[in-house]
Amino acid sequence: MVAFRKQKRVLPGKTSPIANLWQGILPALVLMGAFFIVPIGYMVGLSFIGPEGDGPTLANYGTFFANDRFTDALGRSLLLASAAVAVASVFAYPLAYFLTFVVSTKRRMALLFILIAPFWTSFTIRAFSWQLVLSDSGVVAYWLGKIFGGSVSLGFLYTMAASVFGLALFGVMLITLMVFSVMATIDGRLLEANRDLGGSEMRGFVEIVLPLSLPGWIVGAVLTFIICVGDYAVPTLLGGGFKPVLAQLMLSTLKGTYDLSMAATFAVILVFVVLVAALPLSLLRRQTRLLQ
Amino acid sequence: MTGPGAVGRGILGLVFSATAAVIYLPIVVMIVFSFNSGRYQVMPFREFTLGWYRRTFQDIQYLEGLANSLAIAACVSATATVIAFICAYSLVNSKFPGKTAVTLFVLAPLAVPLILIGISLRIYFVSIGLEPSLALVFVGQVLYVLPLAVLNIRNRIAQIPRSQEEAAWALGASRTRTILEIVVPSCKFSILATLIITFTFAFDEFVIAYFLTNFSITLPIKIWTTLVTGFDPAINAVGVMVFGFSIASGIVAQAIFMRKDKRT
Repeated sequence: MVAFRKQKRVLPGKTSPIANLWQGILPALVLMGAFFIVPIGYMVGLSFIGPEGDGPTLANYGTFFANDRFTDALGRSLLLASAAVAVASVFAYPLAYFLTFVVSTKRRMALLFILIAPFWTSFTIRAFSWQLVLSDSGVVAYWLGKIFGGSVSLGFLYTMAASVFGLALFGVMLITLMVFSVMATIDGRLLEANRDLGGSEMRGFVEIVLPLSLPGWIVGAVLTFIICVGDYAVPTLLGGGFKPVLAQLMLSTLKGTYDLSMAATFAVILVFVVLVAALPLSLLRRQTRLLQ
Repeated sequence: MTGPGAVGRGILGLVFSATAAVIYLPIVVMIVFSFNSGRYQVMPFREFTLGWYRRTFQDIQYLEGLANSLAIAACVSATATVIAFICAYSLVNSKFPGKTAVTLFVLAPLAVPLILIGISLRIYFVSIGLEPSLALVFVGQVLYVLPLAVLNIRNRIAQIPRSQEEAAWALGASRTRTILEIVVPSCKFSILATLIITFTFAFDEFVIAYFLTNFSITLPIKIWTTLVTGFDPAINAVGVMVFGFSIASGIVAQAIFMRKDKRT
């Protein structure tokens, strides 16, 4: 270190390359500012402009909350995302537990990859492939018909349940991944101690594994909720368009009526939902390692 | 390490197998249907055919979408990886108040539904007088993949020992030369994997593209419009190819990551 300092004096005009390179962050910051913050800010402003170009006014929000079609869509979005998180969590915990405590370290990565790989491709392709399986003329109905005789009508495709199913599958992947990444860091000696002292497997799970892996669950659940609450492809392809969610209203308003202010209002309400949903992340101050 | 008993292991293994089966079932079905000569997507399977694949490659709209998607994804991936590398390097090598906040700010788009990125950019671009186009899709998708790229590269840079950099610096190398000759080579696998991952994400991205272009389409947009406006049996073949491409690049990226791990 001493030699290094001396060298620094020999080369005046240069500062250490190691420290103070904050300028390099600027391109990313400018990009985020110009194409993320400014557009969202602009949209927020636009949502306060009334139908006749008047404003600032709360007229658009008034229209939104006075219209059952709109509030129902908001409620449906919230319900879909919550249900997806709940269903996904029920499956994600056993899966993460399996990967952490049953599978050998060598096979872990391979099995994790098996779970994650299909999600590399877009929601659109995946939702479409589910149509082939779940529709009334799809594979499941066909085989059920073969087994039980007659023609079986599932009546599952184009329902809320089908949307929840499609979104929950994605959630299973994401929440398993997040819970696993924390569960794998749990000190095995804690569980050994539990066993040595006569605690059951279940007790070890409830009192050690569950609380210690909670930060991973929170991150996974919040991200799943946020992604699902704004998703457009699954509710359209699996849920059908008859009972629209917020994202579908947003798009039909934007591409159908060109009412930019109203579309912006939908979007700002979604921004608000996302911000509220992200609040639990602030509980994780100490676990920010997860995100970094 | 202690673990669950035999019954517990069995049940957990079953949950895993069942989940994997459910995840892969529709993919298998899609692959099967892509070779089915029947015009409608109903069982039973008729005859084996490669006709749908052949038809896809004769359909000018799919080809146009594919060309656009490849071009945009290449530009997005290169741009985002370069910006992300500079950003990640600087984040690792600097100390200033509010660094955590700045980091979270750069990563923020990860925690925002894509539809919000799409709609806010669309409204904004339209109101400053820009027509929706593929160039706007490029901007939107760079924003989308940048946080992933930053995370990827930053984790790697943080692992590089400082001593080599310090030595290069002490011997009088410039900052640029130090970065190009020391830092870039030691995280070249991460950079390569990031290029592949961002390319794949941009290639598959639908929502942002759907909002930001009107007449020039990308492949995911063509797939979408085919799905919602009427049926084309060739769509299975398209889906299988897109899916195969995504998985393949995922495996390649993963393999490159593994290689990096071995070297450290």
